[in-house]
Amino acid sequence: MEPRDNVNTKACGEYEARLEDYVAGESGGAAANEVVVHLKSCAGCRAAFDAAAASTRFLRVATPLMDRAVDPGPGFARLVMARIRTEANQRAQKSIWRPVVTFAWRFAMSATVALALLIAYASQQPGQTTNDLAQMRSGDLMSDPSDPVGPPTSRDDVLRMVADTDHGK
Amino acid sequence: MPDVPKNVAASASAISVPLSRRSRADEERELVRLAQSGTESAFEELVRRHQNRVFGLVNSILRRREDVEDVAQQVFLKAFVSIKRFDLRAAFSTWLYKITVNECWDYLRKKKVRPLTYESDMSEEQVSRLDGIVSADRPPERADQRAEVKETLEWMLEKLPEQDRELLVLKEIEGFSVQELSEILDLNVNTVKVRLFRARAKLMDVYHRRVGPGGPSR
Repeated sequence: MEPRDNVNTKACGEYEARLEDYVAGESGGAAANEVVVHLKSCAGCRAAFDAAAASTRFLRVATPLMDRAVDPGPGFARLVMARIRTEANQRAQKSIWRPVVTFAWRFAMSATVALALLIAYASQQPGQTTNDLAQMRSGDLMSDPSDPVGPPTSRDDVLRMVADTDHGK
Repeated sequence: MPDVPKNVAASASAISVPLSRRSRADEERELVRLAQSGTESAFEELVRRHQNRVFGLVNSILRRREDVEDVAQQVFLKAFVSIKRFDLRAAFSTWLYKITVNECWDYLRKKKVRPLTYESDMSEEQVSRLDGIVSADRPPERADQRAEVKETLEWMLEKLPEQDRELLVLKEIEGFSVQELSEILDLNVNTVKVRLFRARAKLMDVYHRRVGPGGPSR
């Protein structure tokens, strides 16, 4: 193996797929020739190709030595089917109770919302009544200038009300 | 779970008999259709046909024998649950291997482990022998040397980023084609090729980084 000074040299982006075909032995004819010509003129691609080719050679030598998975054996399929049946049964059991649980949750949520509304209403009522009474006592309501049907405060007001033919409608 | 219809053969062999003249692909499509209609025995036959490949794939990605069977079972369980959604446009095997790869990565994510873990780096003695091992044109004959080649490859793969490692393992160890990989990994064929090429180059970079620039040469 030749030493390389710069192992991080990058290949040309537009050639990488073709270089893969070439290094994997999956290109031939004109495509292979084109890659060979390019490799002669491009140092980056050549360096990347040398590394990829060395890896590929090593992989071809070493991969047959890798541990293969243990044979699952003839019982595996039966085991899978048994697990499928067990899980299906569990799902079926869960689905019997699901409508009840859903209803219970909905009921609980509705009850909580209703209770919250009641509490809010009850806490607002006494305060509002007290405010209104206090306002009336202080005469604020009487002196509201925007209220067109408020009680008359002078003789002119009384006359104006009598003259008002639509009676404030 | 639906019962096996009486008119459908209850055993896998019974299913395969009337289909024996058809091509394997047609036969498999028929098995998938039967499984989709709820025929358990058809699904069991599909499990039998693909269990070795699924086991190999899980083993290659996880590299933990104790977990392989559990994850493989989970793969078939998921396949059974979602088989009605499989539209038969792709090969059943491709669809199944896609589930397998995703299940492996889910498993690794949940366990928060790397696919392969070594506690220590290689010894200097091992490094000095690397060059000969990596440059060899054929597997050595001695058992200890063969073990060393295997260890070296595992060590080099361990140092790769997970995506690169997965691609190389699927292509070079599990023997998937670029087309199959593009379907399993949901990637463009060209993207698979580019990533494979980069992964190969990186694999040798791992070796060079370990032995240093201008490291051992013949």
